[in-house]
Amino acid sequence: MTEKTTMATATAEGEVFREKVLALAGEVVLTCIQCGTCSASCPTAHMMDTPIRKLVKLVLEGEKEAALLSRSIWLCTSCLLCTVRCPRNIRPMAVVAALKSIYEDEGMKCKDSVFEGIFARQIRNYGRISEVLLSAEYMIRSPSSAVQIMSFGAELVPKGKIELGFEAAKGERIEGTEEMKRIFDLVGDEKRAEAEKAEAVGEAEEATK
Amino acid sequence: MRIGVYVCHCGLNIAGVLEPSSLTEFAKTLPDVEVARDLQFTCSDTGQETIKEDIVEHKLDSVVVAACSPRLHEPTFRRVISEAGLNPFMLEMANIREQCSWVHMDEPPQAQEKAKDLIRMAVAKAALLNPLQGETMPVSRGVLIVGGGVAGIQAALDLADSGLHVYLVERKPTIGGYMALLTDVFPTNDCSICVLAPKMTDVYNHPLITLMTYAEILNIEGSVGRFTVSGVKKARFVDEKLCKGCINECAGVCPVEVPDEYEFGLGKRKAIYMPIPQSVPLIACVDPEACIGCGLCSEACPVDAVKYDQRQEEFRFDVGAIIVATGWQSFDPARKEEYGYGRFRDVITGLQVERLLNAAGPTGGEVVRPSTGEVAKSVAFLQCVGSRDETVGNQYCSRVCCMYALKNAPLIKEKYPDAEVSIHYIDLRAGGEGYEEFYMRAQRLGVNFIRGRVSEVEKVDGHLRVNYEDTLLGGFRSKPYDLVVLSAGLEANKEADVIGNLLGLSKRPDRFFEIAHPKMRPVEAHIDGVFIAGCASGPKEIQVSIAQGEAAAAKSMRLLLRGELTLDPVVAMVDTEKCIGCKLCVETCPSKAISVDKTALVDEAACKGCGTCAAACPVDAIDMRLFSDEQILAQVRAATAVKGQYPFIVGFLCNWCSYAGADLAGTSRIQYPTNMRAIRVMCAGRVDPAFVIEALKGGADGVLISGCRLGECHYSKGNYQAYQRVQVLRGVLEKVGINPGRVKIVWCAASEGEILAKEVRTFVRELKEMGPVGTELRVLGVPEPPGGDR
Repeated sequence: MTEKTTMATATAEGEVFREKVLALAGEVVLTCIQCGTCSASCPTAHMMDTPIRKLVKLVLEGEKEAALLSRSIWLCTSCLLCTVRCPRNIRPMAVVAALKSIYEDEGMKCKDSVFEGIFARQIRNYGRISEVLLSAEYMIRSPSSAVQIMSFGAELVPKGKIELGFEAAKGERIEGTEEMKRIFDLVGDEKRAEAEKAEAVGEAEEATK
Repeated sequence: MRIGVYVCHCGLNIAGVLEPSSLTEFAKTLPDVEVARDLQFTCSDTGQETIKEDIVEHKLDSVVVAACSPRLHEPTFRRVISEAGLNPFMLEMANIREQCSWVHMDEPPQAQEKAKDLIRMAVAKAALLNPLQGETMPVSRGVLIVGGGVAGIQAALDLADSGLHVYLVERKPTIGGYMALLTDVFPTNDCSICVLAPKMTDVYNHPLITLMTYAEILNIEGSVGRFTVSGVKKARFVDEKLCKGCINECAGVCPVEVPDEYEFGLGKRKAIYMPIPQSVPLIACVDPEACIGCGLCSEACPVDAVKYDQRQEEFRFDVGAIIVATGWQSFDPARKEEYGYGRFRDVITGLQVERLLNAAGPTGGEVVRPSTGEVAKSVAFLQCVGSRDETVGNQYCSRVCCMYALKNAPLIKEKYPDAEVSIHYIDLRAGGEGYEEFYMRAQRLGVNFIRGRVSEVEKVDGHLRVNYEDTLLGGFRSKPYDLVVLSAGLEANKEADVIGNLLGLSKRPDRFFEIAHPKMRPVEAHIDGVFIAGCASGPKEIQVSIAQGEAAAAKSMRLLLRGELTLDPVVAMVDTEKCIGCKLCVETCPSKAISVDKTALVDEAACKGCGTCAAACPVDAIDMRLFSDEQILAQVRAATAVKGQYPFIVGFLCNWCSYAGADLAGTSRIQYPTNMRAIRVMCAGRVDPAFVIEALKGGADGVLISGCRLGECHYSKGNYQAYQRVQVLRGVLEKVGINPGRVKIVWCAASEGEILAKEVRTFVRELKEMGPVGTELRVLGVPEPPGGDR
């Protein structure tokens, strides 16, 4: 038993980590009863190494490394089923979001975070995704993992799921990309968001007068 | 004997299947029947008047009503015949609705034959009925309460306020019990002693409460309504009338220090001491084990209250009822050696942490490590220590430990926000008003909840480590703590055994006192006039103990406030000429109602009328009123007089479960074969093997005995005795060559009409396979046909 036994000292770092997650996802996470409704509801749970129920527990016990290194946080599709069904009104998805954000802050990197970064930036800049550009950039930034999914990509081309060619490579934009950027800027900066919202309300009131 | 028989149509409920008019004509042919009529609704005013007129006009001695179940209208018709001047017990009912027309709707001809048999059986019994009178007996208006914890205190106050005299006997020098020693209590975090102390003072000041502390009961005699209690008040070596309770004067000079049992060993007290500051009565007490007799306290006492020559005083009083509120004792956590209690000073119990958190406790409310005296920075609560653990013989959940840990962990967290506090649990059980909310509050305060039972507590480099499997995260862990609190379970109070033995209380396998019914009679003991409140019957929270104290008080009031008791006349009678004083009946009686002094003597106040003794008596010296051997045998003979059906079954159904179950089959219209003729007995234990043999002799192909499910007997153990007797009887039958499968005993609860119906169906099938009774004798020497249930 001794060799398998791990120390469960709540380290100072673990403490700080837990507080960070609670600050982002809400103190209500403390009231988790580990019922498993979230994991059982999750549509991607079968692909996860750590079910979301366990992820929440890892956070509460200050197990920073295990929580951040779990691939589960990148497999979450933000469908919010967990959040809708949680009997204690915890938002498990918010815990995942908090973990992603801490991951970035810590300067950690993995193929999933790289992919998510490219994905998010394309949405920010163009308001939509260009499969060609996404694949191209992913190939440059994370060649080894990109090779793994290349054959899958090749299957998609004849089906018309991925458009090739010069037009596609230019990247199509939606209207109002400026607003898209502002949304991105405001996410994670609630104070500024609140301030802008108040400003907007004020302006609207002015206008009605 | 002049008998009137009344056959009810019950609208079409009976008349839709049976023919009441031809049943009436049949009844007229039976011996002793003076008049027989069929009535539309016998229970209606017209029906009742007809019976009353007939009783006067035809000078009837007894009445048979063939209608619904006696469990429904027996009280009605007893009232009717008594209004016409008959003794209410001169009534017999034939259950032709619930146990005939409603369960044989598809077989009217066979049902009609069965109804005839049922009427013949009822008439046979009616001819042998005797007038019975429930005796009234004056009762004492006093109540003994054993144990001055919160349950006993509450019961005492309620009873005294209702005008009954209470004798509250407590073994310790003060009342208050464990509740007086706790810190805040869940789920409201009231200060425990603050809410209890006023009640303790009320007990002391109530003119109708005689409080006897530091006292022990040595003997209890008598039965319901007239118990005599005697015992002793131990010597305190302090004059109760003189002592002013100042304690500092005497204890201040006392040179002897011993561990304080009221601090659970965490503090010390002197040889002369006051148990707790709020002691009731507020009188010092000298510990004779510790005192060295130096005389310093005696000199110091300003009122000369210390009396070294004080003797114990005897007491004796009469009461009508007894409430057992003897409480619990803590599981000794040293028995779980792996947790290190007694080896490591920083491993303490839940009760000890209550004292540490208590502002009036040994540390003034600081939660410190006993080894260093420093405040603990990390605290672990280990749940289920001595509960849910068969290795220490405690299968049960102690019910309060989750909640007290959920209370104490946040109390520590509130006092020391930086402390790390964890609860190691198997399951968290927070069932109760406001309890889940209480749990959520603990979570929000940042208490860690770790699921997994701790395997051991070790000391590594001078630090306690707790080893466990984190069953939620997976993996084995080892976590260091400053202080480990063992949430020790609640056990039955061993010191209450004396009272249990004096009263003849039974115990459950968990060693707590058994209540009369695990659901329906929560504060009654098996013994009449004895009630059980609080943790004496199992672990309970304070609020439930209080509720039980109140319930036991209400039950005692119901028993005693009228000043007299009407006894049920259905009791056992002893024929002293026949009795050989073998004491078998004493062992058999579940109510401790029989004593033997040369011959057996039945205490009619204590007897509940089950009749197990009558069935057990080897010389037939005991008989039951209303269910006498003669009456039941007459029913058996009447049942088998015309064997109109094959296979023919005589049934004996216990009044409380199986007969009620058969009635339920009726009200639920569950159909079963018409082959059984049922005889109602108070308990399956009443069934004398002689009844069974009489039935077989009369030509019955089988006998079915049905009692309450095992463990649910109305009289506690009657069904077990019935089972034993049937086993013996089957052995005898086998020896004489009769298939033992012809006698069957089954269990059926009042809610199990379907089970009773199924048992009848099965038995009919089995008996068909066996052939008519006696088949086996004709082919004696040849192996028995299959189907014998051995």
